[in-house]
Amino acid sequence: MILCSVLIVYYPSDGLYFIIAILSISLTLYGIRTLIYYFSMARHMVGGRGILYLGVVILDCGIFTMTIADNPTSFVIIYLLAIHLFSGLVDILRALEAKRISAPSWKFKFSSGVVNIVVAIAAFVFGTFLKSLDVIVYIYAAGLIYAAISTIITAFRKTAIAYIQ
Amino acid sequence: MQKDFHYYATYCAAFLAGFSHEECMDICYSAQFTDWCSYTLLTKLGAPRSAATTQLQLEMMDAPTNIISLQNITRIWSSFHFLPGDLYATKKGCSKRYLAKYRLICNPNSELVVKTVEQAKDVSLQAIGISMHVLADTWAHRYFAGTPSLVINNTDSYFFEILPDGDSVIEKRITFKHNPSIEDNLEKSEYVSSLYQNNENSIMNLGHGRAGHLPDYSFIKYKYLPAWGDYDEIIKDNPSDYIHAFTQMIRAMKYLHGDVESFKTEEYDFDAIGSYRDEIEGILRKRQLDSNDDWKAFGEKLSGCVIEDFDMNKYQDEYISASKDEKDNTFIGKFIQAALAQKGMVTNAIYKSGNILAGFSKEVRL
Repeated sequence: MILCSVLIVYYPSDGLYFIIAILSISLTLYGIRTLIYYFSMARHMVGGRGILYLGVVILDCGIFTMTIADNPTSFVIIYLLAIHLFSGLVDILRALEAKRISAPSWKFKFSSGVVNIVVAIAAFVFGTFLKSLDVIVYIYAAGLIYAAISTIITAFRKTAIAYIQ
Repeated sequence: MQKDFHYYATYCAAFLAGFSHEECMDICYSAQFTDWCSYTLLTKLGAPRSAATTQLQLEMMDAPTNIISLQNITRIWSSFHFLPGDLYATKKGCSKRYLAKYRLICNPNSELVVKTVEQAKDVSLQAIGISMHVLADTWAHRYFAGTPSLVINNTDSYFFEILPDGDSVIEKRITFKHNPSIEDNLEKSEYVSSLYQNNENSIMNLGHGRAGHLPDYSFIKYKYLPAWGDYDEIIKDNPSDYIHAFTQMIRAMKYLHGDVESFKTEEYDFDAIGSYRDEIEGILRKRQLDSNDDWKAFGEKLSGCVIEDFDMNKYQDEYISASKDEKDNTFIGKFIQAALAQKGMVTNAIYKSGNILAGFSKEVRL
């Protein structure tokens, strides 16, 4: 993510297509992997159908994202901001779910979700008022860096487990 | 299971099987030490780390999920805490990958539990203690596998406690919290469990973590939907399972003591607890987070001796200060030998069934 944000700051136009390609490939591979997991393992599991739906939706997103590359740059950045906004909303929903089950991680997840939404909205607003694609790209790049740092912090945080004996 | 059963109840079962107070202390100490003998402790003692019988919470949280680490986790948890019930179990239409995990589901009265008990015969009191830990856990941990697996060990929100209400029963919904720093609330039926992780091999999906400590409480009877169970409800009747565990331990230890010729599955010594049955049932059914005090009082009444509290440091100096040649003759040295034998036997049985989830191991004969 950090690499992508640097890339789009230096090469706003080509960089966006590069991000689209990475996003599309990642989502497609993740979708395929999830479907393989469903058919080889999770279809025998209680509640496993959720994994099938997840795989189908993600694969669909991956393929759809690839088709975006054919559109003008302004449309591409709007799509990326919409994805950013959506991931922020998902973070908030997950944080609320975590709060309901008393998981201590909910505060961090909630704040990162709010920041992601604010970044996406700010990019739309400033981009529209200033009529500048570069401003949108810079704000989006800042949002990507923030999301990358949040992901790194989350990776190093230990999730407590119920200790079995 | 917790200290109440592995330490104090094991003492009681050993005494009822005919062992002396001193022998019972060594047996129950070894049974409880199985929950403490970790890599960290063995490293501190300068002992072989391959003898680890458990993993500390931090060790698990640090464990990567590559195949080597997963095999290490599976070796420990399947050998000592989730003994597989049927290594050749089948299920229609399943992939080999799924079956490998399905076959590690723990259940009592397996071939492996007979081998576990037989292996401890005429070896050491430490070997008897380890085998009693393994046997007891087959009852408490049944229906869960000693390997990380979402498709086997996951549970959903369908959990109901079954409580007696006069001549009938009532069902009370159980809710799970995912904050291990809070305590289970028996009054509100709120229990702590591990967080849902959709990664198949996440350490969160090891054993009964997703069902919290419900399998460890002797009083509770509940119903739920195990992930592997094709939406069939399972009723887990812990008071019944625990008394079967207790009487099977007595039967096994009578064999190990030399009073009966063989140990087979489905054999329980209910005669040995005849006059104490109500008292034992009372302890098992009492709603409490642990029943250490009750089992301790019962054990002391049985033997007329004081049962000292479990002290994990008790034998460490003896092992550390022993010369290299003498280490195997110390208390912990004998425990390590028995642990290596148990781990080798179970690991190789899993490997010979065509399942590589636990890797393979050198067989240690005692």
